[in-house]
Amino acid sequence: MPVLALSTELSKPTEQPPRKWRLFGGARGAARVVRVAGKSLAVTYLSLLVLIPIAALATNAFSKGLGSFWDAATQRESIDALRLTLLCALAASLLNAVAGLATAWVLVRDRFAGQGILNAIVDLPFALPTVVAGVTFYTLYGPLSPFHVNITGSWIGITVAIMFVTLPFTVRSVQPVLESLTFNAESAAATLGASPVRVFRTITLPALAPALLTGTGLAFARAVGEYGSVVFISNNLPYRSQVASSYIYSLATSGQTNSAASVAVVLLVLALALLVAFSYVSRRIARARG
Amino acid sequence: MQLRPTRRLRLAALGAAVVLPLSTLASVPAQADTTTTTTLTASTTTTLPPTNVNVVGYSVVGPAYKALEAAFQATPAGRNVTFTNSFGASDTETQNVINGQAADLVNLSYQTNVTQLVRAGKVPSNWTSQELTYGHVNAALTGKRQQTNYSAKGIVTDSVVVFVVRSGNPLGITNWASLIKSGVQVVTPNPLTSGSAKWNLLAGYASQISLKKKPNQAQAYLKSLIAHTVAQPTSGSAALAAFVAGTGNVLLDYEDDALAAVANGDAVKIITPPQTLLIENPIALTTTGVANAGASAFYKYLFSAAGQGIFASLGYRSVLKTVWTQTKGDFAAFKKPTDLLTVENLGRDGWNTVDNEFFSSSVLFPKKSKTYPSQGIVTYLEQFAGTSA
Repeated sequence: MPVLALSTELSKPTEQPPRKWRLFGGARGAARVVRVAGKSLAVTYLSLLVLIPIAALATNAFSKGLGSFWDAATQRESIDALRLTLLCALAASLLNAVAGLATAWVLVRDRFAGQGILNAIVDLPFALPTVVAGVTFYTLYGPLSPFHVNITGSWIGITVAIMFVTLPFTVRSVQPVLESLTFNAESAAATLGASPVRVFRTITLPALAPALLTGTGLAFARAVGEYGSVVFISNNLPYRSQVASSYIYSLATSGQTNSAASVAVVLLVLALALLVAFSYVSRRIARARG
Repeated sequence: MQLRPTRRLRLAALGAAVVLPLSTLASVPAQADTTTTTTLTASTTTTLPPTNVNVVGYSVVGPAYKALEAAFQATPAGRNVTFTNSFGASDTETQNVINGQAADLVNLSYQTNVTQLVRAGKVPSNWTSQELTYGHVNAALTGKRQQTNYSAKGIVTDSVVVFVVRSGNPLGITNWASLIKSGVQVVTPNPLTSGSAKWNLLAGYASQISLKKKPNQAQAYLKSLIAHTVAQPTSGSAALAAFVAGTGNVLLDYEDDALAAVANGDAVKIITPPQTLLIENPIALTTTGVANAGASAFYKYLFSAAGQGIFASLGYRSVLKTVWTQTKGDFAAFKKPTDLLTVENLGRDGWNTVDNEFFSSSVLFPKKSKTYPSQGIVTYLEQFAGTSA
């Protein structure tokens, strides 16, 4: 759970190195060794896993010149797929922000039978292969739905599938912050006559906002690239219900690797822009609270 | 998240409790991009040292190889041979092999994919004569064109494009014209990823040529057909899965795949249209496969009466005259030679010209027309997909 690791371990004090580290020039030297080692590990790791592949992707996208990059990116099929993907990802992550907050709230603030089970269920979407999720949704909410609900082949189906896949992000980023919140300020506000809604709006929500935005951003980023759960439920109709990941996949597998890379780069840039916006708002809120 | 042991246990139990019913709920077969390994331990004398053969194939042929490999391993030649399989959408698999996936034997959906592998140096350029050298097929028997006058080499199975409808055929689908009536929803895979999709759409076009329509009229038909598609899953297998899950009224499919669906108990009915296209699936030993004794022995087996018999029992039209004569009663017959066209009838040089004309990513129009492209016909028509269903 990288989300948790980030939010909880930042505040840990740095430990003093043990005595045997004198070999490296005493405590200070040891600390430096650790720092340098840590830094180089992080750089290597990030390079191998993220920077080099993305650089290769960008190189591939522009290898036939700016003109062919632009042509691939602005094909109507590409624009339609990108628009559908971004809108569905945005809808899913915003809906999950609300639903995820509610879920986290229930898990932290309420006590009821089966709470532990519910808490464990929240992570299941991460464990379930996304293709299985897609096929399950197709049987439950498809043409032969036992509930007579057919959301396949539409943006609703895509959004629902993405919501399922990204649910844990919002819940798990809000949950620890909610757990660490003391009731003092809320109680004080309530004692002073604030309505529960007002307490939530003015005290609780601002405290949760940065975590909520982080979770929503993560969910959005994950949603943009989602393939397995949506490729089936979308019916994959070009121009209509084909998501960007599927369009890119079809380009890549039909020998048009440069076009595939071009569309992928556009998708990444658009997603990055939205993520930066999210994090900007998140930091503004955090700073405003002091 | 730090979990106490009890909670961890609970989580595991819960995971199992939730995933199991979910997987039974998901009765639709998942996408076919599977990789499996089958092994058979040798206990008696062997004719070959232990060898492993990497088989790469299009999605629909996967189940046939399960049967073929097991049968081959039961023969003296195959006793020590093991298999590693990879089946998926034909273009995807082809691209994977070009990108370095191990492959000794490739059985792809249509000829262009093998041509691409030849261009990438993965398959010897004389692959069409492997049928004679490795398959040991009697040249007299390869005058095999039971159904047409066409005689491509390197083709291991034939099939035709058929319609799969809901049992009872509620919409009364009989021919290609019924597919473009209002309210008919067609499922066919995406032509960018699936070889099956290309055969299906070409069959629609070929049907019009059979009916003495002009190329422009045939293109207009193709436009209506594509407008009636409501789903374009990534592979032939995925398309069948979507259809079985209730999408659309008609699925365009390989005859063999449709027969497999019926054998599987799916509530569907096969309609063989009066005019359609002969599907020819190519096979080739790759450059590594030529050097692999197990692979060439298996290749030979696939062209033997035994191997072709297994293909035939699974709904493929055999390319071996003897096997075809025994099994042709199981398949719908065509009245006139022109009712079953081949890709050669659509373009002088077969797939080499047809693939570009219909599926090229760049769309070109002749000088006098803006409605009927001369290149990238399907690519152009795809924008109408789902518009009239």
